[in-house]
Amino acid sequence: MESLGTLGAAIGAGLAVIGAAFGIGKIGGSAMEAIGRQPEAADKIRTNMIIVAALIEGVALFAVVVCFLAL
Amino acid sequence: MMKGFIKIAWLFALLIPAVTLHAEESTEAEPDIKQIVLGHLGDSYEWHIATTGHGEWSIPLPVIVHSPASGWHLFSSARLREGSEYEGLRIAAEGEYAGKIVERQEDGTDLRPLDLSLTKTAAALLLNSAVVLCLVLVAARWYRRHKATDRAPKGFVGLFEMLVSGILDSVIKPCVGPNYRKFAPYLLTAFFFIFVNNLMGLIPFFPGGANVTGNIAVTFLLALATFLAVNLFGTKHYWKDILWPDVPVWLKAFPLMPLIEFVGIFTKPFALMIRLFANMMAGHAVILSLTCVIFATAGMGAAINGSMGAVSVLFSIFMYCLELLVAFLQAYVFTMLSAVFIGLAQENPEKHAPEQAGNTANK
Amino acid sequence: MGLLQPESGLLFWMTLAFGVVFIVLARYGFPVIVKAIESRKEYIDTSLDAAREAERKCATLEARSREIIEQAEVRREEILRETEAERKQLLAEAHQKAESEGARLLEKARQQAANERQAILDDAKREIAALAVSITERMLREELQDRQAQHDLASRLMDELDSKNRKSWTSD
Repeated sequence: MESLGTLGAAIGAGLAVIGAAFGIGKIGGSAMEAIGRQPEAADKIRTNMIIVAALIEGVALFAVVVCFLAL
Repeated sequence: MMKGFIKIAWLFALLIPAVTLHAEESTEAEPDIKQIVLGHLGDSYEWHIATTGHGEWSIPLPVIVHSPASGWHLFSSARLREGSEYEGLRIAAEGEYAGKIVERQEDGTDLRPLDLSLTKTAAALLLNSAVVLCLVLVAARWYRRHKATDRAPKGFVGLFEMLVSGILDSVIKPCVGPNYRKFAPYLLTAFFFIFVNNLMGLIPFFPGGANVTGNIAVTFLLALATFLAVNLFGTKHYWKDILWPDVPVWLKAFPLMPLIEFVGIFTKPFALMIRLFANMMAGHAVILSLTCVIFATAGMGAAINGSMGAVSVLFSIFMYCLELLVAFLQAYVFTMLSAVFIGLAQENPEKHAPEQAGNTANK
Repeated sequence: MGLLQPESGLLFWMTLAFGVVFIVLARYGFPVIVKAIESRKEYIDTSLDAAREAERKCATLEARSREIIEQAEVRREEILRETEAERKQLLAEAHQKAESEGARLLEKARQQAANERQAILDDAKREIAALAVSITERMLREELQDRQAQHDLASRLMDELDSKNRKSWTSD
């Protein structure tokens, strides 16, 4: 039972990371595209990109913390 | 717990070529890597520096304990070494409070007293705070002694000014809005506090090496400070947006939206806390695990151990570079998100700021 | 999980450390620095503005001086051209004057020559008249014997006169 919980925690952490990776990858891609289109707005885009990426990362970290608790 | 620290000491001792001959001894017992890593990530009552052939080098730190039964205790943690007991207090070897000071009750059970000991993390925290104070006050003294019409500063103060004006211009001014001057000291303090602590944590030997920002208590208080800065100085409009937002009444009558918004007040700083904690802790854990690869493979023969050692060193160097970036980035992100949250709470309806990050901030 | 539980001791020390750092820096550290940085930024901005203004003024001054130089050059060209024209005119005038003077002199000489010829002609007429008178006189005086002798004499006299007259005419 104990090892099953560990397995679940590990799988959960992996899933959370996959989700966050998808999200952050999308943000990064869109931000690069936007910067490519409007290089003069690069500063604003970068700031917003970091903010949104940080928010997604926050959600993923919640998931990882829950996995930690299950460990 | 102590065993873990001895193992960590082996790790650090390996950095000094003269001590490598002790490596064969550590192959006698398979090192418990999980114990080593968790031991570093956690806290301890003395600051371990190194273990050499002549014994352990560690700085004993003061133990300050208040127990309801026996009152205040103040003594050096050297008295608690090797599991010895002093004034009825000892470091629990196992159980619920493993690694913490406990007091044996009359009925034989252990009780955890109020523990205000200056632990390794606390000592490193004070040291790093002193470093931050020195850095900023030295720079401030330069500015006090020079006029605006003087030449721009060089060297350390120039670097400091670059950081300050970068944070001020790219984070604080655009995110907080018109009355950024009120919040600039807090945000800059938070940035430099986190940044210095992160960097000091990356130094592998004595004055650094403590996992300060990877400790939940530290990040909890930083997040609490942001929470207070956001909510104590929030405008009327901010509170109205939370308690009675501009949405259809049926969403408000059954208080779903206000509830979500109200929870959002706490989740934002909670995310700040977890983010900094998890990032720094994970960084320390990864670097330590990579270093431990050398010791885990020590019993597998010279060829495997040597090649894995080389791989481990290369990966450690890479991780160190990444952690340098993360050390800056996490300080930056913490400052930026704090600034955004403060800026959202400073919003006034008449001068509606174009900042739309608020929609995404309420996750 | 022990790592996720904040320690009371660390909370206390962190409150103390961060509180002291924040109060000290918010009092003596960052306001000074932020103010200094901003005032220097302002100073740099105003200096830049002033420099730009000075540059603009410099540019206008330069343009003005260039304009003046151009005007002077134009003027010089004009003067040169005028002088040239004047010179040419003077030369032409002198030429014309010389030509007209020459013509006048020639005319005068011609006039004089005509006058002289007239005078010579008048002289010759007078002389011929006098000769005719003297011939007639001699013929009358000699008492002309015959008609033939008279005729001879007259033609001889006429010849003499003629050759004499012609000589004086052709010499003219």
